[in-house]
Amino acid sequence: MILKNKKGDKIISVYWFFVLFIVTAAIVYMVLSFYGEPFDVREVEADILTNKVARCLSHAGYLESNVLTGNFRENFLEECGFNFKTENVYGWGAMGQYYVEINFSDFLTKKQNSPAIKKGNEELKIFCGQKGKTMPVCIKRSFYVLDKNQGKKQYQIDILSIVRKTEKNVQ
Amino acid sequence: MEIKNKRGNILTQNIIFIILNLVFLSILVVFLFTKMAGAAVLEEKYAKQIALILDSAEEGMAINLTMEDAIRVANKENQDLNKIIIVQDNIVTVKLREKGGYSYSFFNDLVDDVDFTIYPDTTSIPIKRFIIYVGK
Repeated sequence: MILKNKKGDKIISVYWFFVLFIVTAAIVYMVLSFYGEPFDVREVEADILTNKVARCLSHAGYLESNVLTGNFRENFLEECGFNFKTENVYGWGAMGQYYVEINFSDFLTKKQNSPAIKKGNEELKIFCGQKGKTMPVCIKRSFYVLDKNQGKKQYQIDILSIVRKTEKNVQ
Repeated sequence: MEIKNKRGNILTQNIIFIILNLVFLSILVVFLFTKMAGAAVLEEKYAKQIALILDSAEEGMAINLTMEDAIRVANKENQDLNKIIIVQDNIVTVKLREKGGYSYSFFNDLVDDVDFTIYPDTTSIPIKRFIIYVGK
């Protein structure tokens, strides 16, 4: 009877260590997969980019006076204080990691009023709408502004912001 | 005599069993903490966090960023606190150890001679924070 009990104890010990090993392996796996993955900040980055663009185009609900000029369209990055250069890794130097597209349309007729502002790597646009975490992050926002220069004409501005930077944000 | 031996065996076995369990769990906890506070993880975390702060920063702002864990690691690695965060052009690099460092770019390009200055906040000893100042 005593011998049987002893064997039972030993079996329980081995079983206990087996369970402990399984639990440890699971925790180690979870920790490694969590901390091994890079932090994905692209959505926040694209959000900030969109906000910055919106702040550059309008103030207190009114369109900035020079926004619809050709000069502003051409020098958009300098005018709004953007620098789309990135670190030269993973071949990022050759292809841009950002893209911004701004469309101005009449709020009532929805007809496009002036040519769109397009800056950055336009090729990224084709990935928008595709699923998968390795795809660039696309954020589209619209807002409504009044143009003081044209008798408070109403505009709808659509901003599309895309951030790629896949290699540093997704594994 | 036999009974005493048996009891002694059971006690020793139990103690060994408990010690082994404790050793096992301690190793697990140490592993968890090393992973959580690893220099590489902190470098990436702060490089990206600072890049996002710089992206949304505007002229005249002074931002306090608590980096206690990173400063602890940098001190252990004998790194100069004035050199652990480097902003060059539009790339921020956090370097907490000799062989290491993580860089991340930001798109906010300030105009009119406005620049980003990042330095340790020496008003509290030991140093816990960094100040990000946006100005001329």
